[in-house]
Amino acid sequence: MLNKVRRFFVELGWPIAISVAALLLWEVAVRELGVRSIILPPPSEVFDAMLQRSELLLTNLWPSLYLTVLGFGLSVVGGVLVAVLITYSSIVRKGFYPIIVVSQVVPKIAIAPLFVVWFGTGAMSSLLLVVLVTFFPMTINSALGFQSIDEDMHRMARALTGSNWQIFWKIRMPHALPYIFSGMKISITLAVIGVIVSEFVASQEGIGYLIKLAGGLLDTPLMMAAITLLSMSGLALYGLIALAEHHLIYWQTADDTGESSRS
Amino acid sequence: MRAKILFTSSMTAESEGRPAASQVLRIKDVRKVYGDLEVIRNVSLNVAATEFVGILGPSGCGKSTLLMMIAGLVERTAGEILIIGELVTGPRREVGVVFQQPVLLPWRTVLDNVLFPIELLKLSRAKYKERAMELLTMAKIGDFAHHLPRQLSGGMRQRVSICCALIHDPSILLMDEPFSALDAITRDEMGVELLRIWQANRKTVIFVTHSIREAAFLSDRVLVMGRRPATILDDVAIDLRRPRQISMMEDERFNQYVRRLRKAIEASHAQ
Repeated sequence: MLNKVRRFFVELGWPIAISVAALLLWEVAVRELGVRSIILPPPSEVFDAMLQRSELLLTNLWPSLYLTVLGFGLSVVGGVLVAVLITYSSIVRKGFYPIIVVSQVVPKIAIAPLFVVWFGTGAMSSLLLVVLVTFFPMTINSALGFQSIDEDMHRMARALTGSNWQIFWKIRMPHALPYIFSGMKISITLAVIGVIVSEFVASQEGIGYLIKLAGGLLDTPLMMAAITLLSMSGLALYGLIALAEHHLIYWQTADDTGESSRS
Repeated sequence: MRAKILFTSSMTAESEGRPAASQVLRIKDVRKVYGDLEVIRNVSLNVAATEFVGILGPSGCGKSTLLMMIAGLVERTAGEILIIGELVTGPRREVGVVFQQPVLLPWRTVLDNVLFPIELLKLSRAKYKERAMELLTMAKIGDFAHHLPRQLSGGMRQRVSICCALIHDPSILLMDEPFSALDAITRDEMGVELLRIWQANRKTVIFVTHSIREAAFLSDRVLVMGRRPATILDDVAIDLRRPRQISMMEDERFNQYVRRLRKAIEASHAQ
């Protein structure tokens, strides 16, 4: 335990020290050079804006976070379900899977204005954009997980008269879990981007809306406070997933990922 | 003491007076064709209860296909396979399979892996738990029952696989080059271990290998298979005393058998 704590600090000590030093340098440089805070506010002013206008920031943060998590959740459930279809239905695998893959050449962010035309400027457009950007990594990763079980394991289970149901729940699902978590870690980052872009395009609330609004008012400290808060939220969401992964996938340790344990 | 736990099904069959008990496996004129590729041609074979049969042949000659047909996992194009007098039409629980690579679920402990076949067969885990522990102890990995597979060496994992294949007390153990992924020293040790387990269990074993020495060392009888389409070219009874020890590999009689098997293999190459 003590060893773990020590390793944690040794690993995080340097990045934290460098970050603090960079912030200090930023603070001092901006003050000494007399840079106007419209161009670049010192970190202290950004921090101040976060405290002073926390209510404004938080009221705009919640709808964005809500849509991020909801859209992400829909993608996780939907992506895993479609992956199951891809695994078990040769029609879906041969007919739809290539389309899903090829459709990825469309830069999904570019579709945001189209969604506004179709679904208006409300939460529906944002939600759909989040689902659109996160669905693909969820589906592909889960499908890969379900399908990459060991051929001999599958044979052994069948030789022991194991049913498809048993093979799915006792072999495919646990085997796919690490892949599903990889998909989730990619998707959660994309989900945040999706929400912000959609709020940029057309929205009356949300952190993306606030960033755009503050930009229009040249309120750079508020903008940077919003960006900071957004980044911290994104990091927290990612952290939650990584934590769940660490506990659920106990059979893989950090030092043997990618080795035989996953094959 | 071992006899208590190892309730072999062939013995129960005998006590019921079924004549098929002595012939656990009968293969008649089996043929396998994939598209227009003939893999196996007219293989016939009878295996008695508790017999250890080695199937020796070059890689890719269709040995594994034959094994998978016995396991009911691959359909045969023609011919008959009977296990304890019954025609094989699909997977049967009288069969246990060990593959080249240990097939273990990495998220399950060793003990839970050994009990996995019991779950698949929808039997009671509680009833087989003691037997699982006894099998693990016999395979000398009892102390690792609560470890995860990744904490074990390759040889130990393959021992777990063998326990998995034996847990539901099958009459026939099918082994598809089970030791070929191991280093030479571990491989010889595992052979001795397997014979020890087999001697205690008295299963019928069909052991596929491309190692001549391994086939000769382990088997009562070695069937030599040729290249595609595979047929049985020779049927050599290995009359060496049991229990067999690694030191027997130095004996002249053992080496006579090895030479004879090698000649049969070479003859198949010449074709």
